[in-house]
Amino acid sequence: MAEHVILFAGPMGAGKTTAISTLSEIAVVSTEAANTERDVVDKATTTVALDYGEISLSDDEKVRLYGVPGQRRFDFMWSILKERARGLVLLVNNDAPDSVALAVEYLGSFEQLIHAGGVIVGVTRVDTAPEPGLGAYRDALSAAWPTAMMPVLSIDPRDAGQMQTALLMLVAIVDARASIPAVAELSR
Amino acid sequence: MTAFHREQAVIDACDAVIAELRELAPSLVFASVITDDGFEVTHAPSNAFDNGRLASMTSSVQALGDAVARELALGSNEYVVIALESGNLLQLRVPGQPVILAAVFDNHELLGKGLSVSRRGVERLGALLAAL
Repeated sequence: MAEHVILFAGPMGAGKTTAISTLSEIAVVSTEAANTERDVVDKATTTVALDYGEISLSDDEKVRLYGVPGQRRFDFMWSILKERARGLVLLVNNDAPDSVALAVEYLGSFEQLIHAGGVIVGVTRVDTAPEPGLGAYRDALSAAWPTAMMPVLSIDPRDAGQMQTALLMLVAIVDARASIPAVAELSR
Repeated sequence: MTAFHREQAVIDACDAVIAELRELAPSLVFASVITDDGFEVTHAPSNAFDNGRLASMTSSVQALGDAVARELALGSNEYVVIALESGNLLQLRVPGQPVILAAVFDNHELLGKGLSVSRRGVERLGALLAAL
Protein backbone atom coordinates (compact mmCIF):
# COMPACT_ATOMS: atom_id res chain seq x y z
CA MET A 1 0.00 0.00 0.00
CA ALA A 2 1.30 3.45 -0.87
CA GLU A 3 1.22 5.84 2.04
CA HIS A 4 1.69 9.56 2.08
CA VAL A 5 2.41 11.41 5.30
CA ILE A 6 1.24 14.97 5.05
CA LEU A 7 1.84 17.61 7.69
CA PHE A 8 -0.43 20.52 8.45
CA ALA A 9 1.52 23.39 9.96
CA GLY A 10 1.07 27.09 10.55
CA PRO A 11 0.29 29.55 13.30
CA MET A 12 -2.19 28.95 16.09
CA GLY A 13 -5.70 29.62 14.86
CA ALA A 14 -4.95 29.11 11.15
CA GLY A 15 -7.34 26.14 10.91
CA LYS A 16 -5.09 23.07 11.04
CA THR A 17 -7.26 21.00 13.37
CA THR A 18 -10.37 21.97 11.43
CA ALA A 19 -8.73 21.04 8.13
CA ILE A 20 -7.80 17.58 9.37
CA SER A 21 -11.27 17.06 10.85
CA THR A 22 -12.78 18.06 7.51
CA LEU A 23 -10.62 15.64 5.54
CA SER A 24 -10.30 12.64 7.81
CA GLU A 25 -12.33 9.50 7.26
CA ILE A 26 -11.59 8.28 10.78
CA ALA A 27 -12.32 9.93 14.11
CA VAL A 28 -9.51 12.42 14.50
CA VAL A 29 -6.97 11.79 17.25
CA SER A 30 -6.60 15.14 18.90
CA THR A 31 -4.52 16.53 21.75
CA GLU A 32 -6.33 19.70 22.65
CA ALA A 33 -5.59 21.54 25.88
CA ALA A 34 -7.24 24.56 27.43
CA ASN A 35 -5.65 27.71 26.00
CA THR A 36 -4.44 29.79 28.94
CA GLU A 37 -3.33 32.69 26.75
CA ARG A 38 -6.67 33.91 25.48
CA ASP A 39 -5.25 37.42 25.28
CA VAL A 40 -2.83 36.26 22.57
CA VAL A 41 -5.21 34.13 20.50
CA ASP A 42 -8.86 34.02 21.48
CA LYS A 43 -9.44 30.27 21.19
CA ALA A 44 -10.76 28.00 23.93
CA THR A 45 -8.36 25.17 23.17
CA THR A 46 -5.08 24.58 21.39
CA THR A 47 -3.24 21.55 20.01
CA VAL A 48 -0.27 20.60 22.19
CA ALA A 49 1.08 17.44 20.52
CA LEU A 50 -0.61 16.50 17.26
CA ASP A 51 -3.81 15.91 15.37
CA TYR A 52 -4.06 12.73 13.36
CA GLY A 53 -6.46 11.72 10.62
CA GLU A 54 -6.54 9.45 7.59
CA ILE A 55 -8.00 9.57 4.14
CA SER A 56 -8.01 6.84 1.49
CA LEU A 57 -7.27 7.92 -2.06
CA SER A 58 -7.92 4.43 -3.42
CA ASP A 59 -7.90 0.84 -2.18
CA ASP A 60 -4.11 0.93 -2.24
CA GLU A 61 -3.33 4.51 -1.38
CA LYS A 62 -3.74 6.13 2.00
CA VAL A 63 -2.86 9.60 3.23
CA ARG A 64 -1.90 10.04 6.88
CA LEU A 65 -2.61 13.56 8.06
CA TYR A 66 -0.65 15.01 10.95
CA GLY A 67 -1.31 18.47 12.35
CA VAL A 68 1.44 20.01 14.43
CA PRO A 69 1.02 22.61 17.19
CA GLY A 70 1.25 26.16 15.94
CA GLN A 71 3.31 27.62 18.76
CA ARG A 72 7.06 27.58 18.36
CA ARG A 73 7.50 26.27 21.90
CA PHE A 74 6.28 22.93 20.53
CA ASP A 75 8.79 22.87 17.68
CA PHE A 76 10.22 19.57 18.92
CA MET A 77 6.98 18.02 17.60
CA TRP A 78 7.67 19.66 14.23
CA SER A 79 11.10 17.98 14.17
CA ILE A 80 9.69 14.58 15.10
CA LEU A 81 6.88 14.61 12.57
CA LYS A 82 8.61 16.26 9.62
CA GLU A 83 11.09 13.37 9.41
CA ARG A 84 8.26 11.14 8.23
CA ALA A 85 6.50 13.65 6.04
CA ARG A 86 6.51 13.85 2.28
CA GLY A 87 4.33 16.90 1.95
CA LEU A 88 3.26 19.99 3.85
CA VAL A 89 0.09 22.02 3.88
CA LEU A 90 1.01 25.34 5.42
CA LEU A 91 -2.07 27.19 6.61
CA VAL A 92 -1.79 30.88 7.41
CA ASN A 93 -4.69 33.00 8.59
CA ASN A 94 -4.78 36.18 6.54
CA ASP A 95 -5.86 38.24 9.55
CA ALA A 96 -2.64 37.46 11.45
CA PRO A 97 -0.24 40.38 11.89
CA ASP A 98 2.32 40.37 9.07
CA SER A 99 0.90 37.11 7.76
CA VAL A 100 3.17 36.99 4.68
CA ALA A 101 6.34 37.16 6.79
CA LEU A 102 4.76 34.59 9.10
CA ALA A 103 4.29 32.19 6.17
CA VAL A 104 7.93 32.58 5.14
CA GLU A 105 9.07 32.09 8.73
CA TYR A 106 7.08 28.88 9.19
CA LEU A 107 8.18 27.50 5.84
CA GLY A 108 11.79 28.06 6.86
CA SER A 109 11.28 25.48 9.59
CA PHE A 110 10.20 22.90 7.00
CA GLU A 111 12.76 23.72 4.33
CA GLN A 112 13.58 20.09 3.59
CA LEU A 113 10.02 19.54 2.39
CA ILE A 114 10.30 22.48 0.02
CA HIS A 115 13.28 20.90 -1.71
CA ALA A 116 12.50 17.21 -1.42
CA GLY A 117 8.78 16.83 -0.97
CA GLY A 118 5.90 19.10 -1.78
CA VAL A 119 4.37 22.18 -0.21
CA ILE A 120 1.07 23.95 -0.62
CA VAL A 121 0.28 27.21 1.11
CA GLY A 122 -3.35 27.68 2.09
CA VAL A 123 -4.37 31.18 3.09
CA THR A 124 -7.39 31.09 5.41
CA ARG A 125 -9.91 33.71 6.60
CA VAL A 126 -9.65 35.58 3.32
CA ASP A 127 -13.40 36.20 3.52
CA THR A 128 -12.98 38.41 6.58
CA ALA A 129 -9.47 39.71 5.80
CA PRO A 130 -9.05 40.08 2.03
CA GLU A 131 -5.64 41.77 2.29
CA PRO A 132 -2.83 40.93 1.72
CA GLY A 133 -3.68 39.28 -1.59
CA LEU A 134 -2.35 35.91 -2.67
CA GLY A 135 0.14 37.67 -4.95
CA ALA A 136 1.97 39.05 -1.92
CA TYR A 137 2.50 35.51 -0.64
CA ARG A 138 3.65 34.28 -4.06
CA ASP A 139 6.15 37.13 -4.37
CA ALA A 140 7.58 36.55 -0.90
CA LEU A 141 7.88 32.79 -1.42
CA SER A 142 9.51 33.27 -4.83
CA ALA A 143 12.00 35.68 -3.29
CA ALA A 144 12.86 33.27 -0.49
CA TRP A 145 12.92 30.09 -2.60
CA PRO A 146 13.33 31.14 -6.25
CA THR A 147 13.43 27.62 -7.71
CA ALA A 148 10.65 26.07 -5.63
CA MET A 149 7.12 25.50 -6.90
CA MET A 150 4.66 26.18 -4.09
CA PRO A 151 1.03 26.75 -5.04
CA VAL A 152 -0.70 29.41 -2.95
CA LEU A 153 -4.45 28.97 -2.54
CA SER A 154 -7.20 30.74 -0.73
CA ILE A 155 -8.82 28.03 1.31
CA ASP A 156 -11.56 27.43 3.85
CA PRO A 157 -10.56 24.57 6.19
CA ARG A 158 -14.24 23.79 6.80
CA ASP A 159 -14.88 23.15 3.11
CA ALA A 160 -14.36 19.47 2.26
CA GLY A 161 -14.22 20.10 -1.50
CA GLN A 162 -11.54 22.77 -1.20
CA MET A 163 -9.49 20.70 1.22
CA GLN A 164 -9.70 17.57 -0.96
CA THR A 165 -8.61 19.54 -4.02
CA ALA A 166 -5.61 20.96 -2.13
CA LEU A 167 -4.67 17.56 -0.81
CA LEU A 168 -4.85 15.89 -4.21
CA MET A 169 -2.77 18.69 -5.69
CA LEU A 170 -0.15 18.19 -2.99
CA VAL A 171 -0.06 14.41 -3.45
CA ALA A 172 0.37 14.92 -7.20
CA ILE A 173 3.32 17.28 -6.57
CA VAL A 174 4.91 14.81 -4.16
CA ASP A 175 4.45 11.92 -6.60
CA ALA A 176 5.80 13.94 -9.52
CA ARG A 177 8.89 15.00 -7.61
CA ALA A 178 9.49 11.46 -6.33
CA SER A 179 9.68 10.31 -9.94
CA ILE A 180 12.64 12.64 -10.54
CA PRO A 181 15.67 10.59 -9.41
CA ALA A 182 17.71 13.50 -8.03
CA VAL A 183 14.77 14.75 -5.96
CA ALA A 184 13.87 11.26 -4.78
CA GLU A 185 17.46 10.89 -3.56
CA LEU A 186 17.13 14.11 -1.55
CA SER A 187 14.04 12.84 0.23
CA ARG A 188 15.74 9.66 1.45
CA MET B 1 -5.64 40.03 32.01
CA THR B 2 -2.66 38.16 33.43
CA ALA B 3 -2.08 34.71 31.96
CA PHE B 4 -2.73 31.92 34.44
CA HIS B 5 0.91 30.86 34.63
CA ARG B 6 2.03 34.39 35.50
CA GLU B 7 -0.44 35.00 38.35
CA GLN B 8 1.59 35.44 41.51
CA ALA B 9 -0.95 33.69 43.74
CA VAL B 10 -0.85 30.65 41.45
CA ILE B 11 2.96 30.65 41.43
CA ASP B 12 3.07 30.95 45.24
CA ALA B 13 0.68 28.02 45.69
CA CYS B 14 2.72 25.85 43.32
CA ASP B 15 5.99 26.82 45.02
CA ALA B 16 4.52 25.91 48.41
CA VAL B 17 3.41 22.48 47.25
CA ILE B 18 6.74 21.72 45.57
CA ALA B 19 8.52 22.69 48.81
CA GLU B 20 6.27 20.28 50.72
CA LEU B 21 7.02 17.53 48.22
CA ARG B 22 10.76 18.06 48.61
CA GLU B 23 10.41 17.73 52.37
CA LEU B 24 8.39 14.56 52.06
CA ALA B 25 10.70 12.99 49.49
CA PRO B 26 14.39 13.97 49.47
CA SER B 27 14.73 11.78 46.37
CA LEU B 28 12.72 14.37 44.43
CA VAL B 29 15.38 15.82 42.16
CA PHE B 30 13.15 18.07 40.10
CA ALA B 31 9.54 19.22 40.12
CA SER B 32 7.62 21.55 37.89
CA VAL B 33 4.07 22.75 37.51
CA ILE B 34 2.95 23.34 33.94
CA THR B 35 -0.25 24.53 32.36
CA ASP B 36 -2.10 22.07 30.13
CA ASP B 37 -1.02 24.12 27.13
CA GLY B 38 2.67 23.97 27.97
CA PHE B 39 3.59 27.06 29.98
CA GLU B 40 5.68 26.62 33.07
CA VAL B 41 4.25 28.08 36.28
CA THR B 42 7.26 27.27 38.45
CA HIS B 43 9.92 24.67 39.06
CA ALA B 44 12.54 23.62 41.60
CA PRO B 45 15.45 23.54 41.84
CA SER B 46 15.81 26.73 39.91
CA ASN B 47 18.92 25.80 37.95
CA ALA B 48 17.70 22.51 36.45
CA PHE B 49 17.05 21.77 32.77
CA ASP B 50 15.77 23.94 29.94
CA ASN B 51 12.44 24.37 31.63
CA GLY B 52 10.54 26.05 28.82
CA ARG B 53 11.25 23.16 26.50
CA LEU B 54 10.54 20.57 29.17
CA ALA B 55 7.24 22.28 29.96
CA SER B 56 6.13 21.99 26.33
CA MET B 57 7.18 18.35 26.20
CA THR B 58 5.31 17.60 29.44
CA SER B 59 2.18 19.11 27.98
CA SER B 60 2.50 17.06 24.77
CA VAL B 61 3.19 13.80 26.60
CA GLN B 62 0.21 14.36 28.90
CA ALA B 63 -2.07 15.07 25.96
CA LEU B 64 -0.85 12.00 24.07
CA GLY B 65 -1.50 9.88 27.19
CA ASP B 66 -5.01 11.32 27.35
CA ALA B 67 -5.53 10.49 23.67
CA VAL B 68 -4.44 6.89 24.21
CA ALA B 69 -6.82 6.62 27.18
CA ARG B 70 -9.70 7.88 25.03
CA GLU B 71 -8.81 5.42 22.28
CA LEU B 72 -8.80 2.49 24.71
CA ALA B 73 -12.02 3.70 26.36
CA LEU B 74 -10.81 2.40 29.71
CA GLY B 75 -11.29 5.55 31.70
CA SER B 76 -9.23 8.66 32.15
CA ASN B 77 -5.47 8.96 32.16
CA GLU B 78 -4.53 9.09 35.85
CA TYR B 79 -0.80 9.55 35.51
CA VAL B 80 2.11 9.14 33.13
CA VAL B 81 5.37 7.45 34.07
CA ILE B 82 8.58 7.68 32.09
CA ALA B 83 10.99 5.16 33.56
CA LEU B 84 14.51 6.48 33.23
CA GLU B 85 17.82 4.75 33.83
CA SER B 86 18.46 7.00 36.83
CA GLY B 87 14.97 7.51 38.15
CA ASN B 88 11.35 8.08 37.21
CA LEU B 89 9.44 11.02 35.78
CA LEU B 90 5.85 11.14 37.00
CA GLN B 91 3.20 13.42 35.54
CA LEU B 92 -0.17 13.95 37.17
CA ARG B 93 -2.94 16.37 36.32
CA VAL B 94 -4.06 18.60 39.18
CA PRO B 95 -7.76 17.89 39.82
CA GLY B 96 -10.07 20.62 38.59
CA GLN B 97 -7.24 22.87 37.39
CA PRO B 98 -5.58 23.38 33.99
CA VAL B 99 -2.17 22.35 35.33
CA ILE B 100 0.08 19.32 35.50
CA LEU B 101 2.67 18.33 38.10
CA ALA B 102 5.85 16.80 36.70
CA ALA B 103 8.11 15.23 39.31
CA VAL B 104 11.42 13.46 38.83
CA PHE B 105 12.55 11.05 41.55
CA ASP B 106 15.96 9.43 41.61
CA ASN B 107 16.57 5.71 41.96
CA HIS B 108 16.52 5.89 45.75
CA GLU B 109 12.74 6.17 45.64
CA LEU B 110 10.35 3.37 44.85
CA LEU B 111 7.95 4.23 42.08
CA GLY B 112 4.99 3.63 44.40
CA LYS B 113 6.29 6.03 47.02
CA GLY B 114 6.96 8.67 44.39
CA LEU B 115 3.46 8.22 43.07
CA SER B 116 1.93 8.42 46.54
CA VAL B 117 3.81 11.64 47.33
CA SER B 118 2.90 13.14 43.95
CA ARG B 119 -0.79 12.28 44.37
CA ARG B 120 -0.76 13.99 47.71
CA GLY B 121 0.85 17.01 46.08
CA VAL B 122 -1.70 17.37 43.30
CA GLU B 123 -4.61 17.00 45.72
CA ARG B 124 -3.14 19.71 47.93
CA LEU B 125 -2.40 21.96 44.95
CA GLY B 126 -5.90 21.43 43.60
CA ALA B 127 -7.35 22.58 46.93
CA LEU B 128 -5.05 25.60 47.13
CA LEU B 129 -5.80 26.75 43.59
CA ALA B 130 -9.54 26.22 44.05
CA ALA B 131 -9.44 28.52 47.06
CA LEU B 132 -7.86 31.42 45.17
